[in-house]
Amino acid sequence: MIEVVLADGAVSSYIPVMLLLTMAVTFGAFNVIASRLIGPRRDGGTKGQTYESGMAPIGTARKRFNVRFYLIAMVFLVFDIEIIFLYPWATTFPNLDPGSTNAQVWLFRILFFMATTVVAYIYGLRKGVFRFD
Amino acid sequence: MLDTLTLAQASAPAPMQTGTLHHYLVVSALLFVIGLIGFVSRRNLIIMFLCTELMFQAAGIALIAFSRFWLNHTGETFVIFVLTIAAAEAALALALVVLLFRRKESLDGAKWSEMRG
Amino acid sequence: MTQALPSTMLAAVSMGEKFVAMWPEAFLFITTCVVMVLGLSKSLPVRRMCAPLAGVGLIGAGLIAAAMTPDTLCPLPSMAMYGKVLAAGIGLVLVCLLAGTVDRDFESDVERTGWFDVIRSKRAEFWAFFLFSLTGLMLTAGADDLILLFLALELTSLPTYVMVAISTRRDRSMEAGVKYFFLGALGAAMFLYGFAFIYGGTGHTGLQDIQREVRAQVDAGGINELTMLGLVLAVVGICFKIAAVPMHFYTPDVYQGSSASMAGYLAFVPKAAGFFAIMLVVSCAGWGFGESRAELPGMLRDVLWIIAVLTMTVGNVLALLQSSVKRILAYSSIAHSGYMLVGVIAGPGLDGRGGEFTRNGLAAVLFYLLSYGVMTVGAFAVLACLERRSRDGEIEEADHVADIRGLCKTHPVLGWIMVVSVVGLLGLPPLLGFFGKLPLFTSAISAGEIPLVVILAINSAIAAYYYLRLAYLCYIDPPETSPNLAPLRATPFGSRRVAGMLSAIGVVVLAVVGGKLADATVTAGRYIPPAGQTQQPERAADDDAPTPEHVVAPH
Repeated sequence: MIEVVLADGAVSSYIPVMLLLTMAVTFGAFNVIASRLIGPRRDGGTKGQTYESGMAPIGTARKRFNVRFYLIAMVFLVFDIEIIFLYPWATTFPNLDPGSTNAQVWLFRILFFMATTVVAYIYGLRKGVFRFD
Repeated sequence: MLDTLTLAQASAPAPMQTGTLHHYLVVSALLFVIGLIGFVSRRNLIIMFLCTELMFQAAGIALIAFSRFWLNHTGETFVIFVLTIAAAEAALALALVVLLFRRKESLDGAKWSEMRG
Repeated sequence: MTQALPSTMLAAVSMGEKFVAMWPEAFLFITTCVVMVLGLSKSLPVRRMCAPLAGVGLIGAGLIAAAMTPDTLCPLPSMAMYGKVLAAGIGLVLVCLLAGTVDRDFESDVERTGWFDVIRSKRAEFWAFFLFSLTGLMLTAGADDLILLFLALELTSLPTYVMVAISTRRDRSMEAGVKYFFLGALGAAMFLYGFAFIYGGTGHTGLQDIQREVRAQVDAGGINELTMLGLVLAVVGICFKIAAVPMHFYTPDVYQGSSASMAGYLAFVPKAAGFFAIMLVVSCAGWGFGESRAELPGMLRDVLWIIAVLTMTVGNVLALLQSSVKRILAYSSIAHSGYMLVGVIAGPGLDGRGGEFTRNGLAAVLFYLLSYGVMTVGAFAVLACLERRSRDGEIEEADHVADIRGLCKTHPVLGWIMVVSVVGLLGLPPLLGFFGKLPLFTSAISAGEIPLVVILAINSAIAAYYYLRLAYLCYIDPPETSPNLAPLRATPFGSRRVAGMLSAIGVVVLAVVGGKLADATVTAGRYIPPAGQTQQPERAADDDAPTPEHVVAPH
């Protein structure tokens, strides 16, 4: 299949991977330790459940979920998909000459694109998606 | 430092062999056919929806393989848009299926046949 | 790393032109956003602004499109403007027709209880989806790239599924919406797979590049199998949108399950988008094959030929057996897709560019889309105007053929709209339908498709039976009063009647100005054959995005 062609200096090319691994491990370890050290400890009924603020994990699975779960899922989807389009833009934008018309056009485009998400956000806000009561 | 970040991409990729392309196309065709057969033969709405997703992803695999074959990015760009559409369809399908289930307590497509003729 | 690539600049310029071409859609999109937010307002007068705003958006978009749509970079460069103006025009009639479709029961609830439940309100969504869908239709007409075409087709369809499902409060609408959605997803997957293979066979997604590449392949011995497979798959997938044979099963159920106004919408918008898409895809291969050098390439032509024949025959024969007006019109919608496919097969005519109206099948299709849209919206508007309260207290629209019996006597205006619409659909000479059908015949004859013309004629004769039956029921039969059912009343939404009258007037008036329209469609149906010189396939040529990583030499 596709053979992975590495750049010259095979060891140095692994540095980003190591960097990423280190960051991941540090982040995870830091969070576990920090929450041990400074987190409040209040045990109790709700706290002991699997999903602290979600549905009840025990009992029949055929009961109705609150419709807000679906709404949250869809809002997540909007932002999730938005991110996909930001990645290709972000990888190409730094290569443009800063200050050129081209760069301005590219910036305007991504801003317009993000403005459309703001419209979705306003719609969700007025529809009451973000009210959790 | 920046140069090391470009990693493997830095060297121009070798053109893909036609034989290699065929492997990907076979996988993609298999996925598509499995999806199609599943769509026609299954009656559970969620399985049917999964089958259409399978067909979408089959097209995605073909696009990526072709993109690598032609060494341009058009196919990959296409796949990003396909993912978007697939997500929109998933949202729609789940909403419709939930609504249906609330009305009839069943996901059997055959139970929804009020109209015939 | 920071070198400015010349290809980047070129890409930016062409993208800038693309945005100019999209001004109508951008305008419509901004209107959509406003409608989507305003429709959620607590105040009724603000909520009522949705439909008029949608109308304003369509007028604006139509005017912008008529004023400044440039030619697109594809084999059918001038179709964009015609398609966009057509979408805006019929869209305006549809705004009148769709009034009160989803918000009626809800508004009466709000009035009774005095409480506006924003979650249950559907008005904003319905009108926003309507405009999104028409934006998609406009984008389809102006697409010059497979990616854009795919996105535009999906933008047209996705909102439609929801609109069908919420168009009435009955289970039937849900069923129709789900059926429509699942078959739609299947169709989308098929044409997407087709697009993937077209890209695989040619290495491009731009329609002009594909056309050039196909031409190169032909010069080198024949069209690549991958390209051919892609074209066929794409056409079969798009058949869902136009309700043609391998994917037509949903049509009657979906039309019957949704409200009559929504059915009128379905008969035009997805069909128009599907035909724009089919013409764009097929034109990439072009009509330069066969003995006369004016045919589609062999397999593509055969597939389209079979689809066309089956579509019109199945549609017309099954329409004979129906007792529901919506189902009759649904099968007639299938049959009309078959007729229009004849025009696609006939192509731009022997001169290869489509300069003459009577010989240009593409112009015929574009003309037919307009005439079919006007007539079918008129027929559905009549159904949308008649309603009764059924036993379960829900409002039910006229549907059974008995409901329109003697309509010319009980509701003369509606009766006459129905008569004019169905006689127009039949294609009798003084009306618009005749001028739509005539060029289909003449272009197919001049393209040498005699068997197809014969089948088309036989089918028109079969269709005459059920169209005349509808006209007869309205005009000659005495009104029938069934003891079991409440009598039909006119709907309180006057604008639906306006939609019907606009269509009926259109059927007559557009026939009078048919010559001008024909000129417009000939301009719109202009086909650019591939350039003579062949070019080598550019492997690794990267002309659409700046991608420095891949251009930088290995170090």
